[in-house]
Amino acid sequence: MLTNTAPVAKLYLSIIDDVIESMRELFTDEGLEDRVLDDLRQIWESKMMQSKAMEDYRKSNINSSNFVLQLPANYNRTNQELTASVVIPNNSGILPTFSLPAGLSYPVQIPAGVTLQTASGQLYKVNVPVVVTQAPAGQPPVSRLAQVIERRESPDPPSTAAPPDASRPPQEAEALSAPAISDKQQQQQQQQQQQPPPPHPKTNFPPGEESALPQQPLVPPAEASQPPGAHFPQPEAPPGESEPNPPPEPATLCASASPCSQLLDFQISTEEALTQTGQLRTNDLDDILKEVIEEERGKAVMARKTVNQSDADLGVIKKLISLLLEVCVCVCTLISLVLQHVLITLVLTTHLYPQDPLNSGDDVVEQDIPDLFDTDNVIVCQYDKIHRSKNRWKFHLKDGVICYGGRDYVFSKAVGEAEW
Amino acid sequence: MAYQLYRNTTLGNSLQESLDELIQTQQITPQLALQVLLQFDKAINMALANRVRNRVNFRGSLNTYRFCDNVWTFVLNDVEFREVTDLVKVDKVKIVACDGKSESTQNKNDKW
Repeated sequence: MLTNTAPVAKLYLSIIDDVIESMRELFTDEGLEDRVLDDLRQIWESKMMQSKAMEDYRKSNINSSNFVLQLPANYNRTNQELTASVVIPNNSGILPTFSLPAGLSYPVQIPAGVTLQTASGQLYKVNVPVVVTQAPAGQPPVSRLAQVIERRESPDPPSTAAPPDASRPPQEAEALSAPAISDKQQQQQQQQQQQPPPPHPKTNFPPGEESALPQQPLVPPAEASQPPGAHFPQPEAPPGESEPNPPPEPATLCASASPCSQLLDFQISTEEALTQTGQLRTNDLDDILKEVIEEERGKAVMARKTVNQSDADLGVIKKLISLLLEVCVCVCTLISLVLQHVLITLVLTTHLYPQDPLNSGDDVVEQDIPDLFDTDNVIVCQYDKIHRSKNRWKFHLKDGVICYGGRDYVFSKAVGEAEW
Repeated sequence: MAYQLYRNTTLGNSLQESLDELIQTQQITPQLALQVLLQFDKAINMALANRVRNRVNFRGSLNTYRFCDNVWTFVLNDVEFREVTDLVKVDKVKIVACDGKSESTQNKNDKW
């Protein structure tokens, strides 16, 4: 097959010729010039020559000249005449090459009447004198080095320098002095506040003591009001007794006295009774006051106790609440720590041991049909017979073109076997 | 009308590209380009039938087969082509084959 490239190229060229020639009439019927058809041919041939299908054909013909210089017999180098150079148009894209006969070298002056023959056998007669010279070698491109300029941005000089140091100390001094002044003021204020307040007269006395003071002056007047010489059957009640004696009966005192004296006695007795009653009354008042004072004292003490107890209770409650809060905080921190630990473990497990998605192994991967038939190696042909026996297939093909590796191969018959 | 399946060869593709260029430059009409392609189909069918006389054998494993509109399409793997003494191994090749015995010359579009 590899040796079939040259026949393939010839086959292709023959097909091109057949197509072009068969379309010439139609093109003329369409009113198109032959130039259009020639352009089509040139483009078609150039594309084929550029493809790998004609690569071998191109390589095999690379050394062959397009023009064979056939000089007439009377050609003599000494009879060369200077003529204008002629540039052969290169319409087909093929670089025309000349093969010189032996004994000739460039430049060659071709006088009129010389016949040129192409490799395909076409003959060209030179009617105008031609000078054939060898093209100069192409000069290599000059490379230019680009100059790279680096700009270094110099740092700006410190135009705006730091404020001078002289300005700082005063500011600092001011700053220092200001708090000093404020400190002094605060000290003065504190001193003023620390000075003990002027003593205030104590107007508030404990309730128990207050009642005792006026009680004292009352007692002596009660004792002083007792008339001298008056004898009572009842002993004098000492101050402070809680049980006042009943007032004596004045009848027992003046049984044998005269009416005046009785009146006097009565008066005296009444006076004495009054005084006694007064004394008794004062004694009672004192007792009552004392009792009241004592009661008030007790109440105050009780109040104090209750207040103290409430204060203590509040303190206890506060302590309990603080303890509860601390416990709650601890519990919250513990919970957060646990959650963090759990999250960290989850992240580590997912990263260290990546898990496939669930049910990923259940999917059955199927081949993509478009990709299955997508290939550059194609055989285009006709089949005579296709046979199958179980999983063994036999192919009988004909008139095919194989495109493999960019190259084309042809066959008239192809027989193949394959197992499915 | 001959089979159009040979348009997918190097020769056929280059012809289509050339015709497209001429159509773009408005040198020819699309209808005329179609006529050129039809003429190409005839020419290549005749050339392959009359100018080629060689035989090729091949062996491989059949991956896929398809039969539609009287057109077989095969995909073979690890194929060995043998012509006389030459041996060429191909990893993957696709075969598109039209009915060679059918005298009908309906237009057969490319099946790839």
